[in-house]
Amino acid sequence: MEIDPLLGPVVVLVAWTLVMMIWMAATRLPAMRQAGIDTKTQIGGRGQDLDGVVPPSVQWKAHNYMHLTEQPTIFYAIVFALILMGASGMPMSIYLAWGYTILRIGHSMIQATTNVVKYRFSLFLISSLCLLGLTAEALYFVVHATL
Amino acid sequence: MTHYPLLGPVIALVAWSIVMLVWLAVARAPVLRGRAIKDGSRGTDLEQAHPGKSNWPAHNYQHLMEQPTIFYAVVLSLVFMDFQAPINVWLAWGYVGFRIVHSLVQATVNIVRIRFTLFLGATICLIGLTTHAAIWLIRG
Repeated sequence: MEIDPLLGPVVVLVAWTLVMMIWMAATRLPAMRQAGIDTKTQIGGRGQDLDGVVPPSVQWKAHNYMHLTEQPTIFYAIVFALILMGASGMPMSIYLAWGYTILRIGHSMIQATTNVVKYRFSLFLISSLCLLGLTAEALYFVVHATL
Repeated sequence: MTHYPLLGPVIALVAWSIVMLVWLAVARAPVLRGRAIKDGSRGTDLEQAHPGKSNWPAHNYQHLMEQPTIFYAVVLSLVFMDFQAPINVWLAWGYVGFRIVHSLVQATVNIVRIRFTLFLGATICLIGLTTHAAIWLIRG
């Protein structure tokens, strides 16, 4: 079975999102216990209610996990569209897609640890430019095919 | 190069989301200027310090990262099922059209009655697409 090379960055980013989810849980659950929150009797309440209750660095993992369920969703959509249109043969698409995934992993590492906004923002900006490149490519294909 | 008419609306909505990302950055830039940024802060923190209009494009961008995810999932499913009847292409473009106008309203005047109506229109298109996918699945 031949595997489309554009699926690599998609699967890796999904896997990374799950890693962040585990990292979030592994730091949050002990912090909740420490804050005296008893999850056995708890009714209602959501993760965001913990902002200001548990230490910020604990919430940073959660902030990043939430972030990963936002913009990457349009990354997945555009990569699937490119695969369907047959753009996988273009090295440009593959570089951009891997660039997006790798930069997002770096972004996660920063947000989950030091969380210096300047660096985090720079990585987010460059990853967004990769996404913009992929979208421009898809737009080009679709306009080309329609005309 | 294969042409799938249903991919047009998908790509257009992704492109529009990036436009809204740029809009949110432009709207927030003046608020950010000269402000000391604490480690770990996020867009939502900015909102507390500076509520109001400058956050509206950001609200909309956030919104575009929510429901459209299931739009992409169902439209791509329709492509995989090869159910690209014109009605689906119209519904998908309808969804995108409603969402773009919804963005324009939320980022500018933000009149909830209008915004809600547009959201409702988009959602009806999405329900149509989902129903078609479900019917196709059952028939298949």
